[in-house]
Amino acid sequence: MQLTYVEAIRLALEEEMRRDPAVFLLGEDIGVYGGAFKATAGLVDAFGPVRVMDAPLAESALVGAAIGAAYTGMRPVVEFQFMDFIACAFNQVVNFAAKSHYRWGAPVPIVLRGPAGGGVHGGPFHSQNPEMHFVHTPGLKVVEPATAVDAKGLLKSAIRDNNPVIFLEHKFLYRRVKEDVPEGEHLEPLGKARVARPGRDLSVITYGAMVPLALEAADRLAGEGLELEVLDLRTLLPLDLEGILASARRTSKVLVLHEDTRTGGLAGEITALLQEHAYDDLDGPILRLTAADTPVPFSPPLEEAFLPSAARLAESVKQLARY
Amino acid sequence: MSTSSEPVISDRVAESPEKLRTLLRRMMTIREFEHLGEREFRNGLIRGYYHSYAGQEAVGVGFIEAMDLTRDYIVDHYRDHGHCLAVGLDAVNIYAELFGRRAGVSKGKGGSMHMYNQEKHFLGGDGIVGGGISVATGVGLALKRMGKGGLCVCFFGDGALDTGTFHESLNMASLWDVPIVYICINNQFSMGTRLDRHSSLTQLVDRAAGYGMATEQIDGQDIGVTLAAAERIFAGVRERQRPVFIEALTYRYQGHGIHDKPHNYRTPEEEDPWIHRDPLLILGQRLIEEKIMTGEQIEAMRQEVAAELEAKVEAAKQSPAPEDRELYEDVTL
Ligand SMILES: Cc1ncc(C[n+]2csc(CCOP(=O)(O)OP(=O)(O)O)c2C)c(N)n1
Repeated sequence: MQLTYVEAIRLALEEEMRRDPAVFLLGEDIGVYGGAFKATAGLVDAFGPVRVMDAPLAESALVGAAIGAAYTGMRPVVEFQFMDFIACAFNQVVNFAAKSHYRWGAPVPIVLRGPAGGGVHGGPFHSQNPEMHFVHTPGLKVVEPATAVDAKGLLKSAIRDNNPVIFLEHKFLYRRVKEDVPEGEHLEPLGKARVARPGRDLSVITYGAMVPLALEAADRLAGEGLELEVLDLRTLLPLDLEGILASARRTSKVLVLHEDTRTGGLAGEITALLQEHAYDDLDGPILRLTAADTPVPFSPPLEEAFLPSAARLAESVKQLARY
Repeated sequence: MSTSSEPVISDRVAESPEKLRTLLRRMMTIREFEHLGEREFRNGLIRGYYHSYAGQEAVGVGFIEAMDLTRDYIVDHYRDHGHCLAVGLDAVNIYAELFGRRAGVSKGKGGSMHMYNQEKHFLGGDGIVGGGISVATGVGLALKRMGKGGLCVCFFGDGALDTGTFHESLNMASLWDVPIVYICINNQFSMGTRLDRHSSLTQLVDRAAGYGMATEQIDGQDIGVTLAAAERIFAGVRERQRPVFIEALTYRYQGHGIHDKPHNYRTPEEEDPWIHRDPLLILGQRLIEEKIMTGEQIEAMRQEVAAELEAKVEAAKQSPAPEDRELYEDVTL
């Protein structure tokens, strides 16, 4: 079935709600309105307002309520209109959800999902990539699909997972990605990276909206005789160390690419892991290409300068290939 | 000042003809500004999101007119274009911000929801709903310490009442006797969710009354009412150094944002009575009744305003885009 990324999200929600009556949705304008990006379009008609709950504008209390419902056997999925607003629920996420199991042995099967990322001129509060706040918080899982197939398969797995999952959907991909998505029981595992394109010369390790960017660069560079491997991490916490090492060993050169800002970004962590585990396998420095260390500017040309681009990626790749 | 859940019928003040004309012009400017802004959005010149203030003009213009911006401050919410115009920012700079240009109010970095101007004591539109309400507490505290009788006006929508910061902040402001006028622009919707589906109480004054402050519900369509209420309430707040909560009843004509089709969740029939009580219409009729202006003069004024704004759009288009190096400027001092 040909589906866009956001339709794949919707389908995953629908299938999981049909499968398990404990699954229900909470969020602002998710009912009649169908969600800020229409990820829940029509679901209130199918499941009623008790399972597709329109909520007041109150992210912190919403996440708290989801945690309580999860303690009591439900599997809530909370939608954020923009993932930027998860900052309003920081306490509930990092103190309650993340540490409940460690403190008490209480599982918290919640999914906190919504659109992240830039490229749509949303400005400073509607474009952020908040993953690293949560990657730095033991007790959580952090997922970000790059394809419609993964959007569906990973969301289904996230809903079935007994841990709190931060599920970042990239809004730039919502309607730009369309592909054949399997119907029904198609699950993608959390914690496993995916080789989006095999290649022998150099690994680009990335996730989210940077995956299509890397694939585009790979296509272009293939014409120049450079074969890039593109590794789509898919899950950022826990990282797939095996997958990362395997790719690094295949190509012996690694560039980490992410749309998140540079300092404290995931590239630093992956670089450290490679130093620890694959130092002898590498034939060059580990490079990173990231967004600038600034807030996300509104002005479209400035945002373009802020975000990594295919041209800059090609440049960095060529620099690394020279080693 | 009364604590009441009934709409208070305040008498219109007897303003001078000159002032009434100015107020009409200002409201028209906001209406036409949004009209042209939405056009430029459709033309692709404005990217991202666009939230129109059309329909709510009498609230912002009435309250801001009564402020003394040499000593008072505004903390605004994200639907901020109208308030920027009401404090006297040049439409060229507001359009330039929407276009993401260097001449923008926020140098193109903030966009539609994040206008800010220290000179006009305009402390921001803010894309995080409810966030500004807590900031107002500190602004009010500082103004109180300065002892010049300044007050903080904090604007937000009905949706913002659902946030925790609203409740935390009102408690503090009441506890600490902070001179803040909270103005809830109740346009009946939090995005696509109607008031009775997002708020446990629909008389929003009742949600503030629990913090022991005076509250008042007013007609937000008639600028005679909003201005009179503002003058009276501001005087009381300056004197008593206590916060007050106002619920101004109004309506958002457009969808939540430009991409939103409101008839998915509301009907043209329910919009009708509001459109019949349009703030520009109400003041226009008053001007005609009081023989201050004729209908033709009002229409001529509208055309003049529209032409002026067209020129502002053109001027804003002339502003260059920021250069790449500006990305790195202003991150820290
Ligand atoms: C913390 C937060 N949550 C959600 C949103 C998304 N959002 C933007 S405006 C809005 C509705 C706000 O309604 P209201 O406060 O009544 O303001 P109005 O739109 O009526 O001016 C929502 C849900 C946001 N910007 N910030």
